Amino acid sequence: MKPITYHQSPITNIKYIIIALAIIVIAWLVPALVELVSPRTDRMPFVVYSCLDSTFIRFETQNKQVRYVDFRGQEFTKAEADSLLPLFSFRQLVAEGRLPDSLYGVALTPKLIQQNAFHFKTSPKQLNRPPVGLYLMLESASGRVDLQLPNDVFRLTNEGLEFIDAETNTVNRAKSRSFSRELTKQGFTFPVQLIWGNGSTRKDYDNGFLLTDAHNRLFQLKMVKGMPWVMEIDNGQSQRQFTNLFVIEPANRALIGLVVTDDHRLWAVRANGELAEIGKIGQSQSQRQSLLYDPQQMQIAIVGDLFHWTITLYTATDTRYYAVDAKTFELVDAAIVPDPAPTTKQRILRCLLPIRLRFTSWRTQSIAPSINDD
Amino acid sequence: MLKSIFYKEWLKLRLFWCLALVIHGGVLAYILLSIRSTLLTSGVMETWATMIGRDVLMVNTLMYIPLLTGAALALCQWLPEMQVKRIRLTLHLPIDYTRSIGTMLLCSLVGLCLLFALDAAVLAIVEQAWMPRELVLRTFLTCLPWFFGGLLVYTVLSWCILEPQWKMRCVNLLIGLPLVALCFLTAQPACYIPMFPWLVLLLLATGVLPFYSIYRFKLGKQ
Repeated sequence: MKPITYHQSPITNIKYIIIALAIIVIAWLVPALVELVSPRTDRMPFVVYSCLDSTFIRFETQNKQVRYVDFRGQEFTKAEADSLLPLFSFRQLVAEGRLPDSLYGVALTPKLIQQNAFHFKTSPKQLNRPPVGLYLMLESASGRVDLQLPNDVFRLTNEGLEFIDAETNTVNRAKSRSFSRELTKQGFTFPVQLIWGNGSTRKDYDNGFLLTDAHNRLFQLKMVKGMPWVMEIDNGQSQRQFTNLFVIEPANRALIGLVVTDDHRLWAVRANGELAEIGKIGQSQSQRQSLLYDPQQMQIAIVGDLFHWTITLYTATDTRYYAVDAKTFELVDAAIVPDPAPTTKQRILRCLLPIRLRFTSWRTQSIAPSINDD
Repeated sequence: MLKSIFYKEWLKLRLFWCLALVIHGGVLAYILLSIRSTLLTSGVMETWATMIGRDVLMVNTLMYIPLLTGAALALCQWLPEMQVKRIRLTLHLPIDYTRSIGTMLLCSLVGLCLLFALDAAVLAIVEQAWMPRELVLRTFLTCLPWFFGGLLVYTVLSWCILEPQWKMRCVNLLIGLPLVALCFLTAQPACYIPMFPWLVLLLLATGVLPFYSIYRFKLGKQ
C-alpha cells in the first residue's frame, strides 16, 4: 500500500473550507463596508392627503429646506400648505387665527380635531420580533386617569390563559380559570392562534387584547374591574382567515383595532365589534385598485384626521399612498410612486459582487443569512 | 498516550481554568445581584414589564466575557507551544498528530462548553426563582450566541497562532475575526434563533482549521 505523503493528506482539503469562509466574509463585509462609507441619504417624503386640494401633498426635504408639492406638481409655500391641510396644521392655524370655523358642515374646534387625529405605524421588522410569550393585562376601568401596571402577567396554554403573580412567581389559578372560563363561555375555542395587545401604560385608555381562537374567530378580551370582558368581533359572521391583529387606542374611541386577512385586506374593528374594510373601492373609484397590505413585506404608516386617513405602504419596489374616508373607510384617492432606480454605485457593486450576504434584514429583527436581499 | 496529553494540558492550563472560573463566577454574581437589586428597588412587576416590553434582560455584562475567555484560552494554550517551537515535541510523539492536536483542542473546547454551561445553569437556576420560565429561556437564548462567540474565537485564534507564517496569520485573522463578530451583531434578546444551525456549522468548519496550520508547520513553512 502506497504511504500517504503530506501533499496527498486529506488535511489539504481544509484549504477549501478556508476559501469558502473567505468568500463568506468578502460577500458579507464588502457590501456592508460600502454601505457604511456611503450611506443612502435620500429620505422618504412625508405625504398627507389634503381634503381641500383633493390630492396628496408631499413634504420634501432638500438641503434642509422643506418643499410642499402636491401630486399634480404644484408647489406651495408653508402658509399655503398649512391652509390646504387645516386638520394637520391646526395648531399653527389657531395661533395665526386662520382655523376655519367649519369644514364640510362640521364645526371645527381644536378639541374635535385632536380627538379625531390618529397615528399608526408598524413594519415587518417590528412584527417579526422573537415573541416573549408573556402578556400584560391592564385594568381597563380602574376609575383612575392614569393606567397602572397589573400585579401579574399571563401566558397562553392549550387549555386557556395562565396568570402568573409577580410577587410569588406562581400561577394564580383562580384568575386563570375565571378568564379562560369566560372566554369559553363566549364561544372561544382554545388554543389561541393570534394575540395582540398594547401593554404600555403610556396611553389614555386600554382596549385589551384582540385574539383569534382555534377556529379563527376573532375576539376582544379586556379586564374590567378585575373581571374578564369578552366580545366576539363581527358576531362570528366572517369566515375570514386573520393573519395579523393590532389593538389601537384612538382618542375618539371609535375603533379598537386593525386586522389583516390572508387576502391582504386591511380591516378596522369598530368599537361595537363590526368589521369595516379599509380602502375598499367605492362606486366613484371603480377604476382603482383596492388597498392591499402584506404586513410581512410592507411598512405601513397611517395619519388620520376627522375626514380622511392617509395610508402609506412602503414596499420593496414602490411607495403606495391611499386616502380613505375616515368614517366609511372607502377609497378616496390612491397613488403609487416607484422607488428610484438603483444608482450607478449600486449597479457597479451588484456587478462586482453578484453574491451579497447579509445577516440583518429590514424584514426581521432575527439574525439569519440572506443572499442579495438589498 | 492521550491520557498523558490530557494531563499535560491540565498542568499547563489549570491556573487559567481556576482564574476563568473565578472571573465568570464574579460576573455572574454581579449580574444576579444587579437583577435582585432592580427587583427590590423598582418592584417585581415593573422589572418584568421592562423585560417583556423593552427587551431589557440585564445580562449584557456577560456579553464579551465568553469571548475574552476563549481568546485567553487560545493564547495560554498555544503561545507557549509556539515559543521556540515546543510543539515539535508533541508532533514527534508516537501517535498521529491529528489525534494529539485534536485531543488538545477537544480538551479546551469541552472545558469552555462546561464553563459556559455552568454560566447558563447558574443564571437559569437563580432566575427561575424570580421570574417566569419564558424570561429565563429568553435570557438563555440571548446568551447562547455569546457562548458560540467564545468557542469560535478559540478555534479561530488557535488556527492563527498555530500558523507558522506571519503573513498567513494576518490573512487568517482577517478571515476569522469577522466570523467571530457574527455572534455579536445585536444584543436584542433571542434574535439568534434562526442563526444557531449556521453557528454550529461555522464552529465545525473553524474547528478543523488548526489542523491545517499544524500540517503547514510539519511541512516546514516558515
